[in-house]
Amino acid sequence: MSKIKAENVNVYYGSKQALFDVSIDIAEKEVTALIGPSGCGKSTFLRCLNRMNDVIDICRVEGSIKMDNLELNSRKLDVVRLRENVGMVFQKPNPFPKTIYENVAYGPTIHGIAQSKEEMDQIVETSLKKAALWNEVKDRLDEIGTGLSGGQQQRLCIARAISVSPEVILMDEPCSALDPIATAQIEELIDDLKKEVTIVIVTHSMSQAARVSQKTGFFHLGKLIEFGSTDKIFKNPDKQQTQDYITGRFG
Amino acid sequence: MNLILVTFIILLAFTSYYFGRKKALVIQSSQRLTALPKFYGYYLAAWCAAPALIIFVLWSVFEPSIVKTFILQDYTDQNLTKNELQLIYTKVKALAAGTYTGNITNFLDESANKYIQLKGIANSAKVAIILAILIFSLSFAYRSVQKNDRMREPVEIFLKWVLFAASLGAVLVTIGIIFSLLFEAIRFFQAVKIFDFIFGTHWYPAKTFVRDGQPDPELMKDAFGAVPLFAGTFFIAFIAMCVAIPIGLLSGIYLSEYAGRGVRKYAKPIIEILAGIPTVVYGFFAALTVGPFVKEIGNAMGLEVSSESALAAGAVMGVMIIPFISSLSDDVITAVPQNLRDGSYAMGATKSETVKKVIFPAALPGIVGSILLAVSRAVGETMIVVMASGLAANLTMNPLESTSTITAQIVVILIGDQQFGDPKTQSAFALGISLFIVTLFLNVIALSVVKKYREKYE
Repeated sequence: MSKIKAENVNVYYGSKQALFDVSIDIAEKEVTALIGPSGCGKSTFLRCLNRMNDVIDICRVEGSIKMDNLELNSRKLDVVRLRENVGMVFQKPNPFPKTIYENVAYGPTIHGIAQSKEEMDQIVETSLKKAALWNEVKDRLDEIGTGLSGGQQQRLCIARAISVSPEVILMDEPCSALDPIATAQIEELIDDLKKEVTIVIVTHSMSQAARVSQKTGFFHLGKLIEFGSTDKIFKNPDKQQTQDYITGRFG
Repeated sequence: MNLILVTFIILLAFTSYYFGRKKALVIQSSQRLTALPKFYGYYLAAWCAAPALIIFVLWSVFEPSIVKTFILQDYTDQNLTKNELQLIYTKVKALAAGTYTGNITNFLDESANKYIQLKGIANSAKVAIILAILIFSLSFAYRSVQKNDRMREPVEIFLKWVLFAASLGAVLVTIGIIFSLLFEAIRFFQAVKIFDFIFGTHWYPAKTFVRDGQPDPELMKDAFGAVPLFAGTFFIAFIAMCVAIPIGLLSGIYLSEYAGRGVRKYAKPIIEILAGIPTVVYGFFAALTVGPFVKEIGNAMGLEVSSESALAAGAVMGVMIIPFISSLSDDVITAVPQNLRDGSYAMGATKSETVKKVIFPAALPGIVGSILLAVSRAVGETMIVVMASGLAANLTMNPLESTSTITAQIVVILIGDQQFGDPKTQSAFALGISLFIVTLFLNVIALSVVKKYREKYE
């Protein structure tokens, strides 16, 4: 079942066009990977899905992006509500310089989700458990989040993202700053999370895309070259360009 | 004479630079150079200028006192005091320069002639010695160049020593100032008990003035109580901070987070113009515009307001400090990494929530640091308080009354005639060193806070 349906999305940075007529269907409770060489527009597309491009003054988005029939690319959209439903994890772990507890409680606090201290404790615990971090930090929730290791910080960011029970999580190269062990932990986590949420992940690692995703989209120079099941893209792509990129002959 | 000598040394150094470089190019044709040709030039220039200039400076420093000893040798049998000898020497110098107008005795005339003679010898000797040194060091250096010795290391070592000398100079000057403050302050504390100074609540040094002899120790006891001055200083600084912190901080947040590029482009320089206004201008603005204005408003409300009030001085000082806080906090807020903002926005936080909950706490140490630096400026500010806050050291917490500060009192003590060795004059040094300790303390805390903040994001 389709969760997000993008049609003819064009993105401009000033006068420079970054995305050309991208149309894509993202299925619910699946992992969709977006691959492609640097600067191909995959992160730009990802940031359209929670309107993070609003932060960039010169950025302009055209076309239609619907999530459950709600038009995301509309002036009238409540961006705060959208971002509550669409969480995001960034390339570089960016926990706030606050305690581990406060980091996870940040979203529930600003959205007024927890009614009491007990409820908040519960949310924090569940989120940290889902992010596979609870056992490592349960005795030091009042320590500063930035003091954790890189992999732990990234899992803390994932806990922060899932604390408001989003329907979709966007991940922008979440493992590119991590070592292989931390990467493996995050990938395992993605596998668990997809039971409940829809995940869109941008990655530079072909093997990661192959491991974690069910659907893969290949971007090149701002265009979506090919989109289909991960199996097909990696084993038997329709387009020569995709074949070349996946086998490492260019990019 | 001296000017010609120094110009000559410097010109010679430049010439030897070009000469050295040229020589290197000649050497290059037959053998491999040990460094770039310009190092040969630097090497010769350094050897030319450095020894000659060092000797020149040393000579200029010691020559006068040596000449003085020679002149005063003739007076040793007269059993004169140090001051009298000094007076004679001044007379001799004046006579030699032709500006002496008093009685000329034979003895004095003789000394003056001797002085002129000595000076002449000293000058010729100086020129001769410096020329000799120039010739010696240049020929020594030239021989190394000819032998194609290693050139890079000596030049680097020379530069290192030049830099070292510069920093040593700066450090020594600082230490010198501190010690001179300290010695005078110690002499002050021999006359006035340190306890009376720190805890006394009455500051009225003028009453210790007596025409002859030493002032009465009883009078000294409660004339130099610095409490009203410290209280006044911090009170005015507090009023200034009440004005500067909210406005400066909020405008800093606006400039860094909210203002569009267009607004920022014009607003920031305009705010920084405030920092370029001389404090003396703020001073008369406070004394002539704000002071009377505060008085008028106060009177209209039925309050008693003196025309020189702590409020007027503090408010204007606050305006002076606004750009300081606004531009520093703008800097620290801008330095908060963008990915923290992204993280917060991606959670669905609004701009004000992001500023309040993420950016402000992250920038807080830097902001605290900038506020402490601003406080130490407010505490050390002089002109505004001299002009606008009054000179009578009232111990008061009423912003509408006049009060005085440490800096203003130092000014009062040291303008006009003053007598060295008088406790009143020395009290300025005691005040100065207490002010120095307070601002040093504030700066050290501020810098360590800012440093900690930097470590967090690097």
